[in-house]
Amino acid sequence: MSFELLLLISVVAGFIGAMSGMGGGVVLIPVLTLLGMDIKHAIAISIVSVIATSSGSASAYVRDGITNLKVGMFLEMFTIVGAIVGAAITLISAQAPLFIIFGVVLLGSWLTLLLRSNEGWHPVEHQDRFSKWLQLEGQYYDQASHETIAYKGRRAYFGGPLMFGAGLIAGLLGIGAGALKVLIHDLVMGLPPKVSTTTSNLIIGVTALAGTSVYLAAGMIDPALAAPVIIGIVAGAFAGTRLLVRLTNQAVRIFFLIVLAILGIEMIARGVGIIP
Amino acid sequence: MRRKGEDPNRSATMQTESMMEKLVGYILLVGVLASIVLIAAGVVWHYAATGRLGLKYSISGMNLFQFVVKDFATATHPPLRPRLFINLGIATLMLTPYVRVLASMLYFGFAERNAKYTVFTALVFSVLTYSLFLR
Repeated sequence: MSFELLLLISVVAGFIGAMSGMGGGVVLIPVLTLLGMDIKHAIAISIVSVIATSSGSASAYVRDGITNLKVGMFLEMFTIVGAIVGAAITLISAQAPLFIIFGVVLLGSWLTLLLRSNEGWHPVEHQDRFSKWLQLEGQYYDQASHETIAYKGRRAYFGGPLMFGAGLIAGLLGIGAGALKVLIHDLVMGLPPKVSTTTSNLIIGVTALAGTSVYLAAGMIDPALAAPVIIGIVAGAFAGTRLLVRLTNQAVRIFFLIVLAILGIEMIARGVGIIP
Repeated sequence: MRRKGEDPNRSATMQTESMMEKLVGYILLVGVLASIVLIAAGVVWHYAATGRLGLKYSISGMNLFQFVVKDFATATHPPLRPRLFINLGIATLMLTPYVRVLASMLYFGFAERNAKYTVFTALVFSVLTYSLFLR
């Protein structure tokens, strides 16, 4: 695969990844495998680039004061262990199940984005004792509505273990698994959408690092292929991040509903052998 | 300096949190930028030397630390220097979230004196350290 082509694909993947808070992998891996790359190598290269996408976009979100660092830190304890386990499973797995799981995770993300598209955010009124003990609360200045939004997180006792699963998927598939993380933040922990997206972005970087270490040790990361992918994905992510802070959540969602549906169906079809 | 829309009576805890946000934000930014510059420098150098953009080489069975040590060992061979830059860029990228976690741990421990979060961050740091030494 040529350097120029890899670079181009990566710019597009980085842009979409940053806009969704999902990392570049969801677009990168299906496209790389379509162009003939072995899925395990695509996963390994993707997960390195996910460190770049998420760290690059997270840096802006964190400085803007939207990301909740404590929520991030607490949940990272779970995601990194999941990522190491997930990457270890991929190394010994056959190819077809990886395609199917990838497709199912994509369509799952699709469904969750679809189902929550009509719901607004409801602030948590009663915080449980564990979440209070964890100091899961915060406030941020919303650029779209021009107001400061204060919030509390809840049900950290469910959120933590569920994040192990999100980390497992991330390590297994070489993606940020941002949709899953955002879902856990939103539905389980009651965080506002922008806080969940941006905090998910921060967590993804550390989670991807844990997975990357496993793939690196297994000799799956080819620096010659990783180079254009990392450069392209950061360039795309930079543009995508600048847009996200200004766009409404609804516009972002509709765009991703379309992209995710197409990629998810394609991956499952290849996993079960309908498409070679 | 306050941003528009912030409460002027923010508590001391919130101000330290805001410092932490700046610190973490800049670590991530500098780390990613440095890695991009290193990788891009390697690619450009390779192009200048060979007239081709694509490179062909792989590394296998090394953890991050062995990978970096080997990079410096190859630095004495001039034809391999573009490769050295790319490898260092990838290593820098991998170390970026790692340093971010280390900085958070020191911050929670010494600036905010938050025992709970110091322990959480130390746990994350230990698992990451373990994973970086895997082989």
